[in-house]
Amino acid sequence: MINVEKILKENKSLDGYRINTSKTTSYENFYVKGKLETVRATETEDVNATVYTSHDGKTGVSSFNVPHSMDENGLRTAAEKAAHRANLVFNEKFPLAEAGEVSREIHSDVKNYAPEVLSEKIANAVFSCETGEEGKINALEIFIYKHENSVVNSNGVNKSETKYSVMVEAIPTWNEKDESVELYEAIHFTSFDEDKLKAEIAEKMREVRDRKHAVLPDEKKFDFILFRKKEIAELLDNLAGDFNYRTVYSRSNVFKKGDLLQNNPTGDKLTITMQAEADGCRYSALFDADGVTLKDKTVVKDGKVVSYYGGNRFGSYLKEEITGELSCIVVEKGSLTDSDLSGKKYLECVSLSGLQVDLFNDYIGGEIRLAYMHKGDEVVPVTGIAFSGKLSDALSTMRLSASVDVEENYVGPDMMTVEKMNVV
Amino acid sequence: MNFSKYLDDCREKCRELVNILGADFDYVGVLGEDSQNLRVFSDKRTSGITEGQGYCGFVVKLSNGGAVYEYSFDDFSLSPKEIAAKAVSSLKTTEKMKSNTISAKFPEFEKMTKSFKRDSDFDDYSEEELLSFCSSLKDEILSSEKNALNAQAIIVTRRDSKLFVSKDRELDQVYGWANSYMILTVSDEEGKIVSARENVNSVNLKDVFEELPKLKGKLIKKANCLLTAKPIEPGVYDVITDSSITGLIAHEAFGHGVEMDQFVKDRALAKKFVGDYVASPIASMHDGASATLSAASYFFDDDGILAHDTTIIKDGILVSGLCDLTSACQLGVEPTGNGRRQSFKRKAYARMTNTFFSDGTDKLEDMIKSVKHGYMLFETNNGMEDPKNWQIQCTAEYGIEIINGKLTDNYVAPVVMSGYVPDLLKSITMISDGGKVIGSGMCGKGYKEWVRVSDGGPCLKVRVKLA
Repeated sequence: MINVEKILKENKSLDGYRINTSKTTSYENFYVKGKLETVRATETEDVNATVYTSHDGKTGVSSFNVPHSMDENGLRTAAEKAAHRANLVFNEKFPLAEAGEVSREIHSDVKNYAPEVLSEKIANAVFSCETGEEGKINALEIFIYKHENSVVNSNGVNKSETKYSVMVEAIPTWNEKDESVELYEAIHFTSFDEDKLKAEIAEKMREVRDRKHAVLPDEKKFDFILFRKKEIAELLDNLAGDFNYRTVYSRSNVFKKGDLLQNNPTGDKLTITMQAEADGCRYSALFDADGVTLKDKTVVKDGKVVSYYGGNRFGSYLKEEITGELSCIVVEKGSLTDSDLSGKKYLECVSLSGLQVDLFNDYIGGEIRLAYMHKGDEVVPVTGIAFSGKLSDALSTMRLSASVDVEENYVGPDMMTVEKMNVV
Repeated sequence: MNFSKYLDDCREKCRELVNILGADFDYVGVLGEDSQNLRVFSDKRTSGITEGQGYCGFVVKLSNGGAVYEYSFDDFSLSPKEIAAKAVSSLKTTEKMKSNTISAKFPEFEKMTKSFKRDSDFDDYSEEELLSFCSSLKDEILSSEKNALNAQAIIVTRRDSKLFVSKDRELDQVYGWANSYMILTVSDEEGKIVSARENVNSVNLKDVFEELPKLKGKLIKKANCLLTAKPIEPGVYDVITDSSITGLIAHEAFGHGVEMDQFVKDRALAKKFVGDYVASPIASMHDGASATLSAASYFFDDDGILAHDTTIIKDGILVSGLCDLTSACQLGVEPTGNGRRQSFKRKAYARMTNTFFSDGTDKLEDMIKSVKHGYMLFETNNGMEDPKNWQIQCTAEYGIEIINGKLTDNYVAPVVMSGYVPDLLKSITMISDGGKVIGSGMCGKGYKEWVRVSDGGPCLKVRVKLA
């Protein structure tokens, strides 16, 4: 591989540069109906260079890829072309990330296993949850990753991190009387816990059995709808995007600093902190693509928007503290416990096609593939319905569980109830 | 637009790699990819000319009739012998894995050496011209709309070169596609914010330069109408779909269910319905990289199989699915040129390409007139497939209420369609002429494996649950 930094330094028409390198090795297994269908391995390296020019009181910026096919002359030409492109761009001035060095491995036990051994352990754990001929895992995909990311810039940033993660995509299927139904399960982890994995797959297997027996509900009025961590994570991801400096700078944020996210809340008040790292969260990082060391920031406190967060460029435009592009969304636990649910009439959503959240239109909704209808002590699996309502109503009536879990980039309550939703 | 010089330079090394690995494997295929992506944009306060996600690398596919092995790499500075050794050492399996594999005998392939090229006019336009076009368009939108918070104009061009080498085949192809968008964000006095978009997609930038500016007025009107949009009263309605929503139904509601890797996994209900009515007898549906010219048009797929035009539904009857090479080997059928990878770094799955309903003979005006109370739905927002259970979730950006056969000014947004797929497809009672295929989409399988697709067709009259 050519020395990209050396060649960018030689180019006198540049006022700055940044080089991002991402090296990925993976080991992947794909199973079809219990048999190994495909074994994959990858070894790749992505290098991307960003160049900056100062002209006419403005900052020009342009980036380009440096593939293995590029030789030194090719890189010199690409850098020259990028400088030309940057001179066509008239952005408000912004500084590059400040100098700093860091190099660390983010905690994981994945490296302690040979990949094929870990993959076999995962497959064994997943397939052990099959229940005879009725409950099967029709498809299983296992991805074991090692990511080595680094960023250097002309200001003296030199940062690197190594991360490991695993993704398991399983399709639990229930077969009965020549008919079958399935659910989708994607599990991400950074440390292998066989018992936890088995418990999650076994729970999905019970749910897919219930989906087979699910019926159209005989009524559609409920005290509240209960969502699990996947949907809570989806909702919070939509909200978090609204507080990012980029969104604020483009003036497309719906919620402004000082706004109440929850008007006259009847449930738990939301407190959201954007964090660099969170236990078990594969989005944990030390720095962002600009090379800014990440700094945690509380963006919503007791239901009120108190701060924004984001990267170097848009943060400096807005004259806000640069936090870096934080990815982990951490929500404070609430007061909801199982005893609060007892005796209530509610719909517990287990599987949605996808939660639709539209901040602009104050909308939340989705098609429900499986839910449990709770009526006192009676629990009936139901399907074939959809829900919708005002996002503002969902936020104002939400209750959050006292128990917490991790789902993708979300760490927080694993149950949430909302009221005033329509079910059809 | 010329084929990648780098891939051409690697051609001999690919042949050597096939020969070396061919000593131990019955089937060896090497796919080389060199894809470049340029994004030019301008909005109210920023602009840029940037290379987007590009891919340059190789994937080797190996089989001895059992499990398939793949090794993806991007450093071809090593010798073919060294690459072959790295591939074998990286693809270790345990004894248990070795004893528990599928059976997939790869067929003999017709020998073929061929080069394919589809020209685009990207080189006729300088980057200055692209940026100037975007900047002017954005300024014109902003100056025409007093409620504008922001306006963006974006052009993205992609050039793909692919090389496929196996014992029997040596194919190369080069083609391009351009997507362009205008996005307007407006707010009203009460602080409600909405965004509207228009797009033009083509093989040539000439079309973008000619057609996108013509949509400015439509964009501004739409953004202001969306400010008045209200939530829909949930219920079952007569609905007229625009081409985008028709495409969403073709793609999400039905297309994913006929991707035949799902047949292998018993993950698609459609497997049991081949030869049966699954839609109204007036409905027919196609998919194929050669079925029309759009975003997912290519000459051969990522397994070196030539592009097809596959009839999926003919006169309401399910005729055929879409198949990649590995699934075809397991099912004992012919692959249909639908083996696609997100990039050389990812596995090839059976994927849709350009998926659309065939035109009918009805006129849109007559279709609207036939609705006493319902909605016309516009513009794909997103959708989620459920091929095993045939449940639909498709979201439209907005709908316009139809009362007594006339479109009103009553906008609703967003609108989620849900229900059982055959119920929806069998409810089709009218199909318009003049269908359009829209080449701006990206499609995932489940929640990953993103590839470019197009979909569309004519306007349909259906009955469906909206919320």
